[in-house]
Amino acid sequence: MFQYVLRRLLIAVPMLLGAMSIVFLAMRILPGDPCVAMMGDQATTEALADCTKNLGLNRPLAVQYVDYLWRSVRFDFGNSFRQGYPVSDYIARMFPHTFVLVMASAIVAALVGIPIGIVSALKRRNPLIDYPLRIIALLGLSMPVFWLGILLLIVFSLNLNLFPLIGGGDLDGVLAMIRSGEVFSQPRDFLAGVADVLHHLTLPALALGFTLAATVSRLSRSAMLEVISQDYIRTARAKGQRERLVVYKHALRNMMVPLLTIIGIFVAIALTGTVLTETVFTRPGLGKMLVDAIGARDYPLAQGAITVFTMIIIMVNLVVDMLYAVVDPRITYR
Amino acid sequence: MAVVRRTDPVDLSIASARDEVPGATRGRLRRWLPIGIGLVMAAAMVVVAAAAPLIAPLSPSAQFSDAVLKGPGAVERHALGTDEFGRDILSRIIWGARVSLQVGLASVIFGFVLGVPLGILAGFRGGRAETLIMRCADMLMAFPTLLLALIIVTALGGSLVNEILAIGVALTPNFVRLARSLALTIRDQDYIMAARALGSGQLRLMARHVFPNALYALVVVATLYIATAIRTEAGLSFLGLGIPPPTPSWGNILSEGRQYIKCCPWITTFSGLAIMVAVLAFNLVGDALRDLLDPRLKGE
Repeated sequence: MFQYVLRRLLIAVPMLLGAMSIVFLAMRILPGDPCVAMMGDQATTEALADCTKNLGLNRPLAVQYVDYLWRSVRFDFGNSFRQGYPVSDYIARMFPHTFVLVMASAIVAALVGIPIGIVSALKRRNPLIDYPLRIIALLGLSMPVFWLGILLLIVFSLNLNLFPLIGGGDLDGVLAMIRSGEVFSQPRDFLAGVADVLHHLTLPALALGFTLAATVSRLSRSAMLEVISQDYIRTARAKGQRERLVVYKHALRNMMVPLLTIIGIFVAIALTGTVLTETVFTRPGLGKMLVDAIGARDYPLAQGAITVFTMIIIMVNLVVDMLYAVVDPRITYR
Repeated sequence: MAVVRRTDPVDLSIASARDEVPGATRGRLRRWLPIGIGLVMAAAMVVVAAAAPLIAPLSPSAQFSDAVLKGPGAVERHALGTDEFGRDILSRIIWGARVSLQVGLASVIFGFVLGVPLGILAGFRGGRAETLIMRCADMLMAFPTLLLALIIVTALGGSLVNEILAIGVALTPNFVRLARSLALTIRDQDYIMAARALGSGQLRLMARHVFPNALYALVVVATLYIATAIRTEAGLSFLGLGIPPPTPSWGNILSEGRQYIKCCPWITTFSGLAIMVAVLAFNLVGDALRDLLDPRLKGE
């Protein structure tokens, strides 16, 4: 087990380094001078030279690269060109917004996707059940999250006036109350804050959750199909066990192992989805921060956001691999 | 003690061919209907894209100052309404199909042409070549498709060619992985051993034996990736990183229409619908083909 974990860690490190190198190189060949983007076309040559020197862009590329790697390891991504303050602070402020969105949409996706996948696999011979479920999954898979988001905004925000059109609620306030302990002294204010956050979160979570549910339902359908074709399921049926027991006692539990791998894929898709979802709903978060940073040629910020995205995906996959080994001991022997 | 179980009498008569026909037809219909629907939708998209100059009622860039932000059917000639410059939405959507289809097909071909030979080489040869190729693929796989395409297109700038390149590169590691796993299975087959015994070289084995045998599965997956590519292109254009306006693409029509969702939801509704139908078409074909190939679903 220890060897397996070590091997996985050793694979993850060069992967992370490689991914960070891609981010660094891509950001360095961005068209346009960031100093011109910051100071405008009217800036004097001296001012531009000063800016380039201050940002460290006059140093050789190799020096910049090593500096970037060393700083990234310490979560120091430099200062934002536009805002001026440290990128890591900005990321730390935006991360909770993206985190709650991913978690909320994961709940929506699991509640919708897993039952659809299981029923669709078990009832695949019944076209009246299988077909509508597969059509729902296909629609979810084909529907771009930004379009679904806009449709939800048109119906629920603009026409029915049930949900806010933009923003993410006062999540910073809620987190500050938790940190300061005010959650106990002012529970009413805290609950009002949480309600506000949830109010702002509902539509984005539904939009992202529904599109993710399609992926989850397909993967769980596939996992269920894999499990129910196993010999032990046939044995259970041959023993005369009721179908319900076969499903609950044997199939569902074993289905969870392949479902674990979904988490890795899920996080990758969900994080990509946040880029589009946060943009549609004008919600603060890492995704929106990334898009804004690219638009403003603020490459420490863009670099920081992409590096964090990549780190999260690699780390989650690493954890999933280890969980996989814990759940299924055969894997460590491979 | 012998256990005698009472059973209902079994009808041993052979079912007539006429009785079997509805079941068989149903089975065939079930298998081929989704492919048929998907193919018709995809073919319709190809026709619309190819014949855009002939079937678009108006020029996609023609501005009508007397018909700004008009709803579907509100003004003659504009069946799906107009945008903020008075441009015809239907014509823009028809022309937008060209961009989506070009990016969808070309980026998948790019990923296929680059990824499949590398994957086959990795799977067939093994050793250092495999380690090098697969580590590079793993590195790229750390990025989700949209994120990697976003990084590349940001670095290169938004244009049709750059979008194709960005999405193609982002799809490449998927083809590498699949081709490698197929090559690993195929290389141990008897016919490969026979061809090797007959004196075939490595290159010939890969090109004449491994590739043709992996092609079917690769094409099925490529169909699904066309859907991914179309969706990614729309996402990039929506974020303002794709093909810059005024060239119409479904993503940038939707992005521009976002500012007017309060007064004029038709702009976003129809362009989004076009994206969904196109993605659905290729998903339907790819899905149905994959189900046909899935041994677990055989006989159902």
